[in-house]
Amino acid sequence: MSLLKEWYDAIKEAQSVERIEEIRIAVFGKKGVLAAEFAKMKTAPDEEKSKIAQELNTHKNTLMNELVQRKTVLQTLELEALMRAEAIDVSMYSLSSESGALHLVMETMDRIVEYFSSMNFAVKTGDMVEDDFNNFEALNLPKYHPARDMQDTFYFRDEMLLRTHTSPVQIRTMMSTKPPIRMIAPGAVFRRDYDITHTPMFHQVEGLLVDEEGKVSFANLKFILEDFLKYMFGDVDVRFRPSFFPFTEPSAEVDISCVFCKGKGCRVCSKTGWLEVLGCGIVDPNVFEAVKYENVSGYAFGLGVERFAMLIHHIGDLRSLFEGDIKLLEQFR
Amino acid sequence: MIVTRSWLNEWIDLSGVSTQELIKTFNSIGLEVDSVSTYDVPKKIVFGRVLDCKKHPDADKLNICQVDLGSSVRQIVCGASNVRAGLDVVVATVGAVMPGGLTIKPVKLRGVESEGMICSAKEIGLEDIYDGIIELDSSIGSYTLGEEICENPIFSDDIIEIELTANRGDCLSIRGIARDLCAAYDKSLKEEKTDENDDKRLGIGRILALSHENNLNVNLRYKAVDLKELKLPFVVRLRLAQIENSRESDIESLMHYATHSSGVILRAYNHQFFCNKNETLAKISLCQDENGYASIMTKEDKKASTVGIVQEDEAKATDNGGIVLIEASYIPPDIISKKMQESKMIAGPMYYRTSRGSEPDLDVGLCYCVSILESNSASSAFGGTIELGDPNEDKIISVSKKEIDEIIGANIDKAKITKILKNLGFDTTKSSANNFVVCVPKFRHDITNKQDIVEEIVRLVGIDNIPSKPFSFTEENRLRDDYFTYKKRRDYRHKAAFSGFFESVHFVFDEKRVLEQYGFETIDESKELLNPIVNTLDTLRSTLLSGLLKAASNNSKNGYSSVKLFEVGSVFNSQREESVRMAVLFCGDRESECLSNAGKPPKVDFGFFVQKISNIIGEFELKEFKTTHSLSHPFQSARIIIAGESVGELFRVHPDVEESYDLDATYMCELDFSKLPSGLKTAKNSSKYQASHRDLSLVMPKEMHYEKVKSVIEEASVEHLVRFYPVDKYSDESLGQNMSLTIRFVLQPMDKTLEEDDITKSIQSVLDALKDKLGISIR
Repeated sequence: MSLLKEWYDAIKEAQSVERIEEIRIAVFGKKGVLAAEFAKMKTAPDEEKSKIAQELNTHKNTLMNELVQRKTVLQTLELEALMRAEAIDVSMYSLSSESGALHLVMETMDRIVEYFSSMNFAVKTGDMVEDDFNNFEALNLPKYHPARDMQDTFYFRDEMLLRTHTSPVQIRTMMSTKPPIRMIAPGAVFRRDYDITHTPMFHQVEGLLVDEEGKVSFANLKFILEDFLKYMFGDVDVRFRPSFFPFTEPSAEVDISCVFCKGKGCRVCSKTGWLEVLGCGIVDPNVFEAVKYENVSGYAFGLGVERFAMLIHHIGDLRSLFEGDIKLLEQFR
Repeated sequence: MIVTRSWLNEWIDLSGVSTQELIKTFNSIGLEVDSVSTYDVPKKIVFGRVLDCKKHPDADKLNICQVDLGSSVRQIVCGASNVRAGLDVVVATVGAVMPGGLTIKPVKLRGVESEGMICSAKEIGLEDIYDGIIELDSSIGSYTLGEEICENPIFSDDIIEIELTANRGDCLSIRGIARDLCAAYDKSLKEEKTDENDDKRLGIGRILALSHENNLNVNLRYKAVDLKELKLPFVVRLRLAQIENSRESDIESLMHYATHSSGVILRAYNHQFFCNKNETLAKISLCQDENGYASIMTKEDKKASTVGIVQEDEAKATDNGGIVLIEASYIPPDIISKKMQESKMIAGPMYYRTSRGSEPDLDVGLCYCVSILESNSASSAFGGTIELGDPNEDKIISVSKKEIDEIIGANIDKAKITKILKNLGFDTTKSSANNFVVCVPKFRHDITNKQDIVEEIVRLVGIDNIPSKPFSFTEENRLRDDYFTYKKRRDYRHKAAFSGFFESVHFVFDEKRVLEQYGFETIDESKELLNPIVNTLDTLRSTLLSGLLKAASNNSKNGYSSVKLFEVGSVFNSQREESVRMAVLFCGDRESECLSNAGKPPKVDFGFFVQKISNIIGEFELKEFKTTHSLSHPFQSARIIIAGESVGELFRVHPDVEESYDLDATYMCELDFSKLPSGLKTAKNSSKYQASHRDLSLVMPKEMHYEKVKSVIEEASVEHLVRFYPVDKYSDESLGQNMSLTIRFVLQPMDKTLEEDDITKSIQSVLDALKDKLGISIR
């Protein structure tokens, strides 16, 4: 049996699955060692036959076990070696996304629309080219009002103009539908101004609520705007300052505590700790008169989307928003 | 509107009110504080008196001064031209650290000891008032020599800039703002009683006669002063610098000062301008000029001024002395603004005030002005005034307590309302139990209706003190029409962004020259923009393509080898009708350089771009098409067809255009947004049986369009054929003028698994049709 001993050693020393296979054939194959040993048995004396057979069978089983075990070990080792060879330096693959991104102003507008839609405001849109009545006259901005200066408004040769706010959408909505009204008008508006803080085109969302006389109050306006500003800017303080707009009365401007310095005072808020973000008020009776509404009350508000986007996303230069600059846009994937 | 704390103090007692409180009050009553700055004069800068002043022996421009600093007398060398003995000055003593950082030390100037510096206004951090050192006078109040000047209210003043809303003409003066503050603080306005002692004075009637044609809505009031040796006091000069006065003469500057203080429009005329030769009686007439403006004229019809708008230079009083006529005027703001709208004229600096509503109480301004004049010069005023008045009717507004509460949304105490209105100068004595009958003071031009009254109550109650209340409303579905358009736009924008494109927003303005150059539609001349802001934005765009191209060019110049942009926005046709389009641009590399593409990403090509667009808008067909503009490559442009309808165009950019915009291979498409599908989708009935594929390589002439092949196969209505599409294209020398096009056919019946015979039959019918109609067959 010393011959078999040799194979025990061979199994132990085998270094590859291929070698194990060679050993298997050499030992267990038809022309293998074991077959030869069993053949020898025929010539052995009868009384030893059963003993030899028993011994041989024991060896057969043990060898097979050893072989399988060794094979499993070698397979595991080989797989591990293979995987090691496939090792990747994962840190090389920290790639940025290949996807695009929405424009900050549009994305901010989407958020604003989302809020008011969920508060049951309808979304209304209108044309950019407007007439004097809808843009000015109906909004209590008579012909000699300083806000109508040629400096501020783009006019066309046929006396039409580019809307200076989205308020004409409100006028058109009131002219074509009966109260109650609960709407916002998002869209591009135009003023003849071009510097670091002004572009000739920018975006507004204006809101309007009209219901029975005596039903809509300043306190209602305060409620929704406070809630809206906290939704947009997170945990900020909200302050209302009395102000003046031709189309609302009483009117107010709304400030939030500065999002950069948390109200301590910095360059952005001109050391005041407050940032102006909204204009609002109770709709002036002259506006209702212009659209022939009677016995109603309402509130209105308006905001600049670019300003919101700049404050929320910390953008310094307004003009950079209109240049399709990937350097800026790719940061907002 | 610029106010200072010390200036306001002339009309309202602000002792005990901190600057922070003052700012808070301003903001809460609707006078928005734009900026605040406080003088920060350093320590060790004190009041001094020049006792003696001698020329420096070795320097022409230097003087050696002995300066009394209260506790001691110091020698200071001073280079200012206006230094002289007897002058009270501001002295930076040894150890003082100047605003510029310089520390004052004892020095020798050309051999002469100097212990300190006599300062100019600029040197101590104030406005640049005049050349030379500060010449102090009693206008800063009482002071003692040696006392630090930062203790004096003038030198520690707060300068507050208020951004006034257009309706508050009444607050365009220090007095007006003080008046509003009085209402907020429940205080009364300090008004100085002037004691004219008219008996001893020569009456104004001897030197001035006033006549007028008709009632022109103008109020006028005149005083006359015999002007001698006017010297504007220090505080007046300082404040004029604070409000950036740039009037030429002292007398004019003083008028500006008095107007800024009182709100009354004041003018100084040269008396002689209205007199005939050798006469001493000035004859002024108020009449309409050729454009209908109320004007002040001489008897010879020479214009002296247009009321509320501008004064003629030759009628202005000068500092040379002689009799000066001081005019206070008032004209209602709506009248003057309407007039200006009708026939524009060049206005002087006062127009801003008159068009927003100047102070109608003319006496306040006139007295204030004359009193400064008399106390700062050797001048004396003539007795009495000459006036011409137009008594305006009182405005009376009635508003109920209920209306007030409903608009505000809170129950405001009746006594509180009465008090607020009274403090603001409204007469409420005619009010009944539940109704306020309010007589509006003349200076509140802006108050015309109930809402205006409520606004006054709101701002003085303070919006912060009104509790917020949710609005209760009737439920209604408001997700309709415009909302769906908006949502469609949002959905497509999201798809484009997820497909790798960056959203860009451009102005709807464009350059007409460029649009014409590339053959785009432009707005008819008759409807064109009248006042464009710059030449390069002189029309409205008729395409989104040019904006995207420019943006791509800039990005490419910034080093981006792959530019993917899109925009959804409005365009305008020749009739200026607005429509919405979506445009997409892809330029250069398909993806960024990375390990997986060995740093050499493939460039975008037609097929890749088409695939990208399809990711955004879904399935479509392309039909060969020549664009009407010249941005496109003439042999790589197509119409996009969805459900048989053209929705836009897709093309490679013309190589010349690519070159002029510095772009790599660039592909673009522009779509009519309204034609893009947006409805809800429905599922098609699909087969449960396996689909079979067969590829056929057809040999066909190179110039034959696939479109033809496609339509022949479609028309053949091949049984079981559900889809077919080209998968490979090949040509070599052996094929000559032909090419090989491999088309994949997908066959799938609804009701069974295909047998080989079925497939052969179907494919044969394709081959028959192609052979028959086009004469082409497989390789």
